[in-house]
Amino acid sequence: MGVLRHTPAGIPVLQFRLNHRSRQTEAGLPRDVTVEVAGVALGPQARLLAGAALGSSVRVGGFLAERSARSTQPVIHVNEIEFLEQDNVQR
Amino acid sequence: MTILQVALDVPVARLFDYAADVGDAVGKRVLVPFGRRELVGVVMSCSPASEVPAEQLRAVTRILPGSALPGEWLQLVGFCSRYYHHPAGEVAALALPPGLRRGEALPRPAPPGAWIPTPAGIEAAPSLGARSLERRLMEGARQAGTLDRPTVAAMSARARAAVRVLVERGWLEPVEAVPDLAPVGALPLHDAQAGAVSAIAAALGRFDTFLLHGVTGSGKTEVYLHAIAAALARGGQALMLVPEIALTPQLEGRVAGRFPGARLVSLHSGMGEAARSRGFLQAKAGQADIVLGTRLAVFTPLPRLALVVVDEEHDASFRQQDGMRYSARDVAVLRARQRGVPVVLGSATPSLESFHHARSGRYRLLKLEQRAVAASLPTVRCIDLRGARLHEGLAPALVEAIEARLARGEQSLVFLNRRGYAPVLACPACGWVSGCDHCSANMVLHLADRLLRCHHCGVQHPIPRACPTCGNQDIQPFGRGTQRLEDALQALFPAARVLRVDRDSAATAQRWQVLCARIHAGEADILVGTQMLAKGHDFPRLTLVGVLNADASLFASDFRAGERLFAQLMQVGGRSGRAELPGEVLIQTSYPEHPLYQALRQHDFDRYAGVLLEERRNAGFPPFAFQALLRAEAPQMAQALAFLGEALKVAGALGHDAVTTYEAVPMRLARVAGLERARLLVEARRRPALHAFLDAWLERIRGQRVPRGLRWHVEVDPGEL
Repeated sequence: MGVLRHTPAGIPVLQFRLNHRSRQTEAGLPRDVTVEVAGVALGPQARLLAGAALGSSVRVGGFLAERSARSTQPVIHVNEIEFLEQDNVQR
Repeated sequence: MTILQVALDVPVARLFDYAADVGDAVGKRVLVPFGRRELVGVVMSCSPASEVPAEQLRAVTRILPGSALPGEWLQLVGFCSRYYHHPAGEVAALALPPGLRRGEALPRPAPPGAWIPTPAGIEAAPSLGARSLERRLMEGARQAGTLDRPTVAAMSARARAAVRVLVERGWLEPVEAVPDLAPVGALPLHDAQAGAVSAIAAALGRFDTFLLHGVTGSGKTEVYLHAIAAALARGGQALMLVPEIALTPQLEGRVAGRFPGARLVSLHSGMGEAARSRGFLQAKAGQADIVLGTRLAVFTPLPRLALVVVDEEHDASFRQQDGMRYSARDVAVLRARQRGVPVVLGSATPSLESFHHARSGRYRLLKLEQRAVAASLPTVRCIDLRGARLHEGLAPALVEAIEARLARGEQSLVFLNRRGYAPVLACPACGWVSGCDHCSANMVLHLADRLLRCHHCGVQHPIPRACPTCGNQDIQPFGRGTQRLEDALQALFPAARVLRVDRDSAATAQRWQVLCARIHAGEADILVGTQMLAKGHDFPRLTLVGVLNADASLFASDFRAGERLFAQLMQVGGRSGRAELPGEVLIQTSYPEHPLYQALRQHDFDRYAGVLLEERRNAGFPPFAFQALLRAEAPQMAQALAFLGEALKVAGALGHDAVTTYEAVPMRLARVAGLERARLLVEARRRPALHAFLDAWLERIRGQRVPRGLRWHVEVDPGEL
């Protein structure tokens, strides 16, 4: 998780990495999946995430966009955050 | 009836004839009808007849009160008008303080300095009440011979009024106090300074140009003050020009402290109009001994002028950038020649023109190669940026050096000649940058004021919340200005007192004074500054200068860029280690082997200036050629280029072999404040050839019709191409 910064217009921005681990079905067979993606949140969502502990479990919604005009790496822009109970989470 | 030739502040390159019922009014200000308006003008000459048909000749409305402007002043205006090819009326308007230009009533003359008792007063005094204030004033005047202002002020709060009554009765008579011009607290001179002073003093009474080339901290000001003392001792007036308003208060304090009895007049554009008019008239009446000012002070009439000093003669602010584009340094030299007095041009980094004149013997060179107080010049080192890991633009070696100064309680200066937070705001998602709508330049991010501001046209907007093109809110500042550097240094050294000095933090002379006082009082540990801090300042505890982003100017296209960068770095480096503590200069660069940096490390101005001069000679640039620019600005670039193209044809038709004319080209900053700008360069090997050509050429151009909205002007000896 990065440090909360602000755009020149004063909007808070938080950059972070999201870890995901789950069991999915592929071509009819189950398999384990892990993925780590870069994420960014702006405004109230940035503040919300900045207050959370590193390692907290969340369910997020949003959209994917390229990191910049010079990079094709996707970044997830988080618009919705739901904090999950620690108990429900597999570590 | 007399015909007056009047200079009027209108953009027409001639004088206007008016009739008046006076014998001689040369130098008087007059109110005249002009079209449906009334204008104030200056009578440049008188003649018995006019070429204007009698029925068209109009009469002067009235001659304004006040004594005439002296002949030498009119000559100076005439010369500038011819040399800079600028209408005499506009030159005269520029040379007058604004109040006098508008024909306002003259400010009251300075109150008399002292009073002497009249015989009638001495006779009548015993009739006054023995203990009355009036009696005591008369007695005091009789015993001392005069009564001066401080004595009166010390006597009683009512004493001024009592003196007025005594003057009305004819018992006291106002007299001009005889100023005590003796210097006090003069510092002892080292040998080179003493040599310079005696050379200048020996030249008093005749024209001579001196180039006082002294390393930073070598005590040039002390030489000026001694030379001024010599000029005053001969009954003369001294004119001293300094580049910046910001620098005048310190110098003013030093001059006033040295000559406590002398009548010192300061003139700069930051002053109130009434004060400027008063100073101008005081100097004109010979009632000022020293006139200290910025470039506009060069036009002050001085009947007893004996010495002209131009401090930091290389400085670009001696050039006026609009209206009549003149160089106050060059006008100062001209004035000295016109009046037959010596002129001293002083600098640690002389302009190549002056350096060339000194080498060729046209100017007399006075060198100060030792620092006055400090044992030596600062050590200059380059920090190689290739492969260096920078933190917020700062190399580790510079950060360590600042840390060491903090530990020793010394001051550091980090020099970055770019104000604002960042030079541009950009969108990383789509590539949008914060361009100015009116200029071909970017709007600069001023985070503290929450504004985007154009440094060229002054337009400002609030910072956009999102990218205007794609809507991304995460738009980011790119590059670094002084505000961002200030933040970074404060974050690196939380306990240090970081002080930023640039045109934003020191917007007014008062604010600059406050900042300056804080630096002197040791209330700042790290200074972040632009070129404002590079000039002339003397901060004894400052021992480190770090230079950021100098490379940006290394490969600029202007042929004077190298000269300017070299001078600027030498000047800013010269701020360090001026007193007892040794100084160090660290330059962050990716080109440490560049000859400019090599010369800086060795403090070898002469050699690098020699290299630059040789380049100029080979390329046929000034000072080996004489140039003028014809500039045009119009709503559309095509209009500006078409006008200049026509001018080029006219030049071709005139057929001056000794003059080279170049193609019209858009200026580097092509668009400013909604106007597109182009220029045409004219060059000659000899100055007279250039001026003969300009006379003929401009006369033809003035006769041409120009499209609506197009403006043009000429600049002689341009400072920048």
